[in-house]
This record gives sequence, C-alpha cells and structure tokens, in this order.
Amino acid sequence: MEMFYNKAKPTIMHIDLNSCFATVEQQAHPHLRGKPIVIAAYPTNSGCILAPSIEAKKLGIKTGMRVGEGKQLFPDLIVRTADTVLIRDVHKKFKKICLDYSPDVVPKSIDEVVINFSETTALKRGLVNIGSEIKKRFREEIGEWISCNIGIGTNRFLAKTAASLHKPDGLDVIDYKNLEITYQKLILTNLTGINTRFEFRLNQVGIYTPLDFLKTPDHILRKVVFKGITGHYWFLRLRGHEIDDFKSERKSFGQDYALVKKTKDVNELKRIIMKLSEKMGRRLRESENCASGFHLGLIYDNWTYWHKGHKFKEYSYTTQELFSKIMTIFSQQPSLKTIRKVAVSCFNLQPLSNMTLNLFETSVEKKLALSKALDKINDRYGEYVIYPGLMMDMNNTILDRIAFGK
Amino acid sequence: MQEKMFEKISVIFSYNAEKNRSIPYKIRWRLRDYFIKKLAYHHKVREGRELLHIFHVTDGNLDFRIRFNTEDLNWILEEVSDGNVL
Repeated sequence: MEMFYNKAKPTIMHIDLNSCFATVEQQAHPHLRGKPIVIAAYPTNSGCILAPSIEAKKLGIKTGMRVGEGKQLFPDLIVRTADTVLIRDVHKKFKKICLDYSPDVVPKSIDEVVINFSETTALKRGLVNIGSEIKKRFREEIGEWISCNIGIGTNRFLAKTAASLHKPDGLDVIDYKNLEITYQKLILTNLTGINTRFEFRLNQVGIYTPLDFLKTPDHILRKVVFKGITGHYWFLRLRGHEIDDFKSERKSFGQDYALVKKTKDVNELKRIIMKLSEKMGRRLRESENCASGFHLGLIYDNWTYWHKGHKFKEYSYTTQELFSKIMTIFSQQPSLKTIRKVAVSCFNLQPLSNMTLNLFETSVEKKLALSKALDKINDRYGEYVIYPGLMMDMNNTILDRIAFGK
Repeated sequence: MQEKMFEKISVIFSYNAEKNRSIPYKIRWRLRDYFIKKLAYHHKVREGRELLHIFHVTDGNLDFRIRFNTEDLNWILEEVSDGNVL
C-alpha cells in the first residue's frame, strides 16, 4: 500500500530549551545548580508551578502542580518566582544565535523556536552538524548550564515530535525511514495536538497507537474520525508533509490578574481594571492598532464565572477609553459579588491609520497625541513614571508575566 | 536563603583586552570583601533612558546579583542567595 510519506530531505529544526525558566535561574545562580528547584507563579503553597528543574522533574514534580504538592514530594524543594527580564534576555540571545543559520526563525514561545533551513546554504553542512553546533554555542554564549532539545524533520510536527524524544539535551531526526519505528515508541497523547479528548475520539474508531493513526486511510480520518478537513490535515501531518507553516495574525490583546485580596469594593476593582487597561493599552498602541471590541471576565469567590464581550461603534485607543469601555461592561454584571480574578481583553483590531475620526468630537487628535506622548515618557524614563491617578500606589500589584504560547 | 535588597556597594571591576572579558573582581558589602570567582550571567536592561548592566556572580559561597547604572555610575547589590531553602 502506498503510504504517501514525504521523502524529501528534512529542513525544519525545532529547538526547545530544557526546563527553560528553572534552567535559566540555575544558570544565573550557581548555587541552585543540580538541585530540585521550581519556578512558581507565587512562592506560597497554593502557587502554581510553572517550571520544575530537570532534577525536580526526576522526583515527579510537574508543571501545573501546586507548590505545596511539590513540597510533599520533596520537602526541601527550592521555590523561586520567574525573573522575567532574565528569561527574555536568554530568549533574545537564543533567537540571535538561531538567526545566524537561517533568516526564517519563528519563536513558538519564550523557549521554543522553529528554524526553516530550506533555501539556505547551511543545509549543505547537514542539520545534525548544525544542531550540535547550536547546542555548543548555547553553552558558550548563553551559559554552560543551558541545554536544549533539538528535533529535525520534514515538517514542523515531526520536528517537534523529534525534539521530545530524548529529554534533556537530545538531538533526533525523524524522516520517512524511521517514521514507523518512532511512532511505535510513542503513545497518542505524545503527539502534539492530541489531548485526552482527541485520544478518546480516536479510540472510538479503533485507533489506539500513533502507528494505528498513521495507517488509517485518508477517507476514514476525514469522514469518520474528524468529520472534516482536519482529518486530511492529520493524514498529511503524520506523514511529514508541511501544513502548519502559517503566520497567525494577532487578533486581541488581553491582561488578567488574580487578586491577592478578594474584594467586592468597586473602587479597588476600578484601580485594578485601570492598571490592566493601561498595560493592555500600552501593547495595543505599540502595535499601532485601535480596538472596538472589549471583553471582561470575572471569577467570583465561589468559583462561578461571569463574562461579557461587546463591540462598540467607535474604536478606542487611549487608556482612558479602554478603561471606560471595560467599566461599561463591568456595570452590566447581574449582581456584584466578591471577585478573585479579573481578565480584560480587546479585540476587533484595526490599524490606527484607518481609524475614523468623529465629526463632532474635535479633541480626538489631541487625545491620540497625548497618549503617544505619555507612552514616550514612560519609554524614556521607565515604566509607570507617569500614570493615571487611579493607579496611585499600585507599583507591583500586577506582576510582569511571560505568557505561554507565541 | 534568598534576600532581595537595594544597597550601594563598592566594586573593583576588571577588563581583559586579550580575552575581551569583563568581570567584577571584588565587591565590598557591609564592610566585608567578597572575591568574585565566576560570572554566571550578564545582561543589560533599560529602565527608561538608563542602561543598567546586571551581573549574576558568585564568590563560591554566595550568589550575588549586582547592577551597574551607566547613567550615574553606581553599583547596587540587588540580591544575595546561597542556594538553600531557608
């Protein structure tokens, strides 16, 4: 039976820094090296573990656990919070090294990049040699404690799968020659994009292993398993054909904050929403966009959830405008309850240059210019040198975070 | 133990032109001298127009995070840790 494998030479490399947040902390603090440490959102027992070190992972400590659970497994567990400036610097150096080999480098997250080597002269040297050299350069130019997993494949999916085969510090290639042998060693949820619910769906039609998945004909995947084009995409993806090479467009900006002190005090909540609006606004304005859609999500003390999104007629750009739109939605809550988490976002973006000016509001241009000037002052003299009055004494209330994903 | 702080310190800094290597050689904090054995990580950060150089160094017993402000030429000790839980 013709399997339609992609028999081309692998040109995609996926690089994943091992236990990035924790490893970077160990690089900067030599006394933490070789010890089980975790980077958590908060250092308290209820804080969520964002990244365990390689040593902590060996003790069974996993991402997503609570710090308290980690300490039950290893009482002397060292807990740190993320040094976001340090991690961003490592990411910049990491990306800069990768750009020496190909102009097509796409960061997939703070600790992952995909390099496309097609049409580069570097291909002649062989991707395995280049992979080894990149690992060496990471150790020399970023730090000796920094290690990474490298996967090479004919498409992004196989490259990512290869990067997860031998952790930590692996370098693997998957091509049509070892495709079946590799799939034999994996389980369905090892495949990127297959979670437990997808696994259940596959099990329903008799697919229990990645090899079963590979051998399922295209029409079964399309018509029976996925009931749509997604089935065909999986057929191609599993065989090493590239279908994930697209650039996603930013469609929204959002910020959220879990309150240290749960509250129903509207004035306190206003201050928090103002700071979230300011952070969101800075990012919106930096992208030279304005937004007309706004969304507010609230998690209450009893874990119930209320959210609402609304598209306004006019586009907003300044922090004050964003704040007032979010507050309009806030006031539509059916009842005011104690809140533990606030999430705001703006969507329906359009370039600022396309913004329609209001015929009757003559001060719009002034407001835009003022906003730009305020941002410029903050850029030049430091973040929150100048800020709305509502944000007084809120210096570190909302911490800097590194998002998962792109 | 990890202690965050913001204290001015004295620093002797060395630059090796042959190896193109810059590293704090000695720091004096609370009247004690610490000889730096290793530069673990160096990076730069901008706070507005101020350019700060952050050095993560160790004397073998303690890890220090120190910063050099290129605007006012001050050295600040920002963190001391020994890699233990308490």
